[in-house]
Amino acid sequence: MDLTGIFGDYTAFAPIIILLIGALILPAVQFVGKRRTATWAVALVFAIVSLIVNAIMLTDGYTGEALGLYEYDAYSGLMILLFQIVLFLAVLVSNASTETTRLHVGAFYALMTGATVGMMFVAGSTDLLTIFVGVELTSISSYAMVTMKRKDPRAAEAGVKYVIIGGMSTALTIYGISMLYGLTGTTEIAAIAETTQLTGMNWMFAIAIVAMVAGYGFKIAAVPFHMWAPDVYEGAASPVSMFLATGSKKMGLSVFFQIFLVMFVAGTAVSQIAGEEVQYLFAIIAAFTMTVGNIVAIAQNNIKRMLAYSSIAQAGYILIVMAVMSEYALSAGLFHMFTHVFMKGGAFLIVGALICAGIGEKISDYKGLAKRAPFLAVAMMLFLFSLAGIPPLAGFTSKFFLFSSAIGGVDGVTSQWVWLAFIAILNSAISLYYYARVVKAMYIEKGASTEKIKVPKIFTIAIAICVIFVIVLGVYPQLIYDFCETAAGALLGM
Amino acid sequence: MIPIEYFLILGAILFAIGAYGVVTKSNAIVVLMCIELMLNAANINFVAFGAFNGDVIGQAFVVMTISVAAAEVAVGIAILLNAYKLRKTNDLDDAELTSMRW
Repeated sequence: MDLTGIFGDYTAFAPIIILLIGALILPAVQFVGKRRTATWAVALVFAIVSLIVNAIMLTDGYTGEALGLYEYDAYSGLMILLFQIVLFLAVLVSNASTETTRLHVGAFYALMTGATVGMMFVAGSTDLLTIFVGVELTSISSYAMVTMKRKDPRAAEAGVKYVIIGGMSTALTIYGISMLYGLTGTTEIAAIAETTQLTGMNWMFAIAIVAMVAGYGFKIAAVPFHMWAPDVYEGAASPVSMFLATGSKKMGLSVFFQIFLVMFVAGTAVSQIAGEEVQYLFAIIAAFTMTVGNIVAIAQNNIKRMLAYSSIAQAGYILIVMAVMSEYALSAGLFHMFTHVFMKGGAFLIVGALICAGIGEKISDYKGLAKRAPFLAVAMMLFLFSLAGIPPLAGFTSKFFLFSSAIGGVDGVTSQWVWLAFIAILNSAISLYYYARVVKAMYIEKGASTEKIKVPKIFTIAIAICVIFVIVLGVYPQLIYDFCETAAGALLGM
Repeated sequence: MIPIEYFLILGAILFAIGAYGVVTKSNAIVVLMCIELMLNAANINFVAFGAFNGDVIGQAFVVMTISVAAAEVAVGIAILLNAYKLRKTNDLDDAELTSMRW
């Protein structure tokens, strides 16, 4: 299908334009129609249309750029697809969730759509300026979304922490970018990578890199910048927690790929100056992130906090890409990001569905769930085992690619990151312990009640979609992995 | 012409004051003000480097930063107001707010 006939010079922006229109008219839709369901339907239609347009562009292999700041290629198309899937799942369940009934739904969907526009804009950015603005669009919308449960003190507390820590990370990032701009005289990432103005390591370059890693490290909740994540995921409504854990975090990782991988892998000038130091910096952050995330998750009794720490640990696994810095590692990282959307997203959806049915967030509340809600219990078990990396589920396949990239089996040469792969495998074993605790509560322990649980149909549909993808991507990874390989090649220009 | 180092030192001092305030102050409004200081430190850097390099990217970036900072403060104040309504205090050292639970 020829989309250029509809969008003209702005075809590269097509998926973004559609969602942007949606974000702008959604508050008005609620004001005119005064119907919750109508607003939801409009939001869902925009999400689906944008998803279809992007899927057409991606499978056609469309490439194009606009304004010199934004480029649509295989990489940005794939990341945009991921964000659109997250948006679709989050919007799909929002109307049925009892946690969002008292919200101003027009603004809620507008914020969610707007946050996705920011993520998509980041995915195609080739300039630090657009990355900065896109990240802030997502962050500021997220602050508001988290706090929208106005009467809930936990949401208020989460919002205060989120906005202050987020603001500080913004300040750190922008300070780092200003240093980098001063050193190289440009904010275009490809130009920074090939700069001739920077001849050796100096303290300004070191400050710039550290400030940017710290600033964006806050966004992906890498240790030691992770303290906001459990509070925010616990305080927010479940669809919002799911949106943040799967979407917003992937945006932060995408920023790392787009800035640091392009600078230090595709570029030659900068990588000679500090390539190795940056690799070790990321290796240490990755090791600490996965270890702290997994060990602290053991101590959690609230399932949302446990999932939050587990998602910190997953971000640690994906950070292996930043240490290894190869094309194979990047495609494995992208694939893990996709499988993570379905397994972590599905787990948060189940928590949300059970909250609708009046089940609490404590792990002890899940006792005897296998008898009360057989489908949800099976789905939860699949998601948790997939997160732990048990074959033949999707999480095993993607972790296998990711860890093997650290071992470096591609060309038969063992790489220097074997120790990192070893830590990651050890961590997977630790994580199995706390995932198995939930499964044990659901299947072995007896609950106080044996009454059947009824959850909204739409939740069942969304969870079923996640289950299907978790199984299909486990046995047939080529479905997404081929796109991931093309995307990695497109980003690194190989 | 004033050497560029002077601007950088001014920026660094502002950034340090802001960071110190974020870490030590307990009033949430003051913390937001300190974040503004840190953002403005970066703005000074941008304008100085822009003039030094002789191009406009630095100034364009500053306009973006100012608008982003304004949006962030608007949302931040609304969130603080909401928290104040529920808890009747803006003190971040309040037991339930600082409890960094594991």
